[in-house]
Amino acid sequence: MRRLLFILPLLTLALMAGFFAWSLTSGRDPASIGSVMVGRPAPKLDLPALRPGEAPLTDADLRTGKPVIVNFFASWCTPCLAEHPLFTRLAEREGATIIGIAWKNKRDDALAWLKKLGDPFKLAGLDLDARTGLDWGLSGVPETYLIDGNGIVRRHYRGPITERDLTETILPFLKGTVK
Amino acid sequence: MLEFLLALLTTATVGALLWPLLARRLDRHDRLQAELAIYRDQLAELERERAAGSLPAAEAAAARTEIERRMLAAGDAAAASRAATRSDAWHKWLPPALSLFVPLLALGLYLQTGRPGLPAAPFADRGADRGAPHAAPGQQFDVAGLLKSARERLKENPDDPEALAALGEGLTLEAGGTVTGPAVDALRRALKARPDDVGTLYYLGLHEAQSGDSRAAIARWRELEAKSPPDAPWLGMLRAEIARVAKAAGIEVPPAAQPTPQSTMPTPSREQQEAMAQLPPEQRQQAIRTMVEGLAARLADAPQDRAGWLRLANAWKVLGENANAADAYGRADTLAPVDARILADWAEAHVRQLAPGAVPSPQAVAVLERLEKAEPRNALALFYLGVAAEAAGNKPAALQRWKTLLALLPADAPIRGMLEERIKAAGG
Repeated sequence: MRRLLFILPLLTLALMAGFFAWSLTSGRDPASIGSVMVGRPAPKLDLPALRPGEAPLTDADLRTGKPVIVNFFASWCTPCLAEHPLFTRLAEREGATIIGIAWKNKRDDALAWLKKLGDPFKLAGLDLDARTGLDWGLSGVPETYLIDGNGIVRRHYRGPITERDLTETILPFLKGTVK
Repeated sequence: MLEFLLALLTTATVGALLWPLLARRLDRHDRLQAELAIYRDQLAELERERAAGSLPAAEAAAARTEIERRMLAAGDAAAASRAATRSDAWHKWLPPALSLFVPLLALGLYLQTGRPGLPAAPFADRGADRGAPHAAPGQQFDVAGLLKSARERLKENPDDPEALAALGEGLTLEAGGTVTGPAVDALRRALKARPDDVGTLYYLGLHEAQSGDSRAAIARWRELEAKSPPDAPWLGMLRAEIARVAKAAGIEVPPAAQPTPQSTMPTPSREQQEAMAQLPPEQRQQAIRTMVEGLAARLADAPQDRAGWLRLANAWKVLGENANAADAYGRADTLAPVDARILADWAEAHVRQLAPGAVPSPQAVAVLERLEKAEPRNALALFYLGVAAEAAGNKPAALQRWKTLLALLPADAPIRGMLEERIKAAGG
């Protein structure tokens, strides 16, 4: 019995080493924590507009019959800077409808950031107290959701979108070849 | 420094582990000796008391028997414990062996895969130079000044292409290397007025790469590369950027097409080229070889055709016939000295003939030395002239070249490790 007790730490170590070895070699993405949102109707959207003088964001904006991209960003977030040119291109060249939501970001900071980088958002909301982010299952910024014309979430990207996401999922989704 | 501290820490830990393990083994032996010494003292005292008559003989005998019984018991206990330890000897040796083996294994692994010479990359520095080729480390580029002067010039003339290009560059640098929307607008307007501006084309390509269209970026940059003069100062940076973006996007980039110098030798006609493209690979290779050999035969009759020799050299090089290629470059060079770009190809044809670890031939060294003179930072020349210098016993010259090369290499260049080893082996 006492012997077993001594083996216990060694066994724990072996188990952990095995798990780490598997994690490193199996190609699993440790950053991917999945999403419960995919396949369900998009959570509630009820936010004041980021840009002064615009109408507030509502659920109706997600159910227009056309696919919508929802992107949570913040001016203080560096990866948001890296993915920003991709949204610029999506809006400019693909004519995508993109809704930007400034998350835990002061209005003036977010507006200055968009002024500096260019504003690809058709609609922009302000989620200063992060309550909408909570409803949407946000773990941080940037995160991006693809929502079909009926308001169903089809994809959820945690972290910045990349060229690969663009060519493999986002562009086919916008063309309607991926459901 | 950090490595040294970690090694010190490991040594201290191993020491702290080994000390009690070794000390305990000595202890067990000593304890029996100490016990026996006490019992011997007691026996001697008993004998003295009996001799002095202060202890009755019967009591002395009983006490003596008791002490002797304890001595035997102590001996038995020690023997038993020793036997028990011996029965699982690994108990005794495993902990010290393990506590030595683990750090030694770690050290071995580190020596195998570690790169102690690699410069540190503090988080704050990473990405700071991303896509901002003008902001070289240690050289503060005055972005605010650039933007201010560009905006002032635009106030006077809103369509000044130079100011627009400067504005696009400034906005990009201000955003830490991201080509922003306003920057793209300015660059596009600048391009309309000056469609060949190198900086504008570069930044527009960078925007394409950042916005997920690496193919468009590479196509734009390749076009820029083809249009640039062969000695343009930006070519190195441009090629590095093409390679970086192509690698990140998993796109294969064929090597740049070499503009062929004019020659009197006939070039294959369009129909011939198309017919050749239809052939299966082996036949095509054979057809190319026949044509190249035909060219070589014709040049033997007209050896004054320098451009023809260069074309032949290039063809041999493509076919992998490096000895023939080096020879043809030499023939062209005797007619008129070749420039730095051809010197680089010539030197490559020479060193490609080398077996791994072999020393370049005197002819190769001569070409490499001319290349180094023309391009003091040429990696090929620095490396192989270092090899030649080392083989000639001139270690300081070898070390100097290799260290220069090491400083020029990017931090993630795959040959760094090999080069560092050679430097170490040469005593640097």
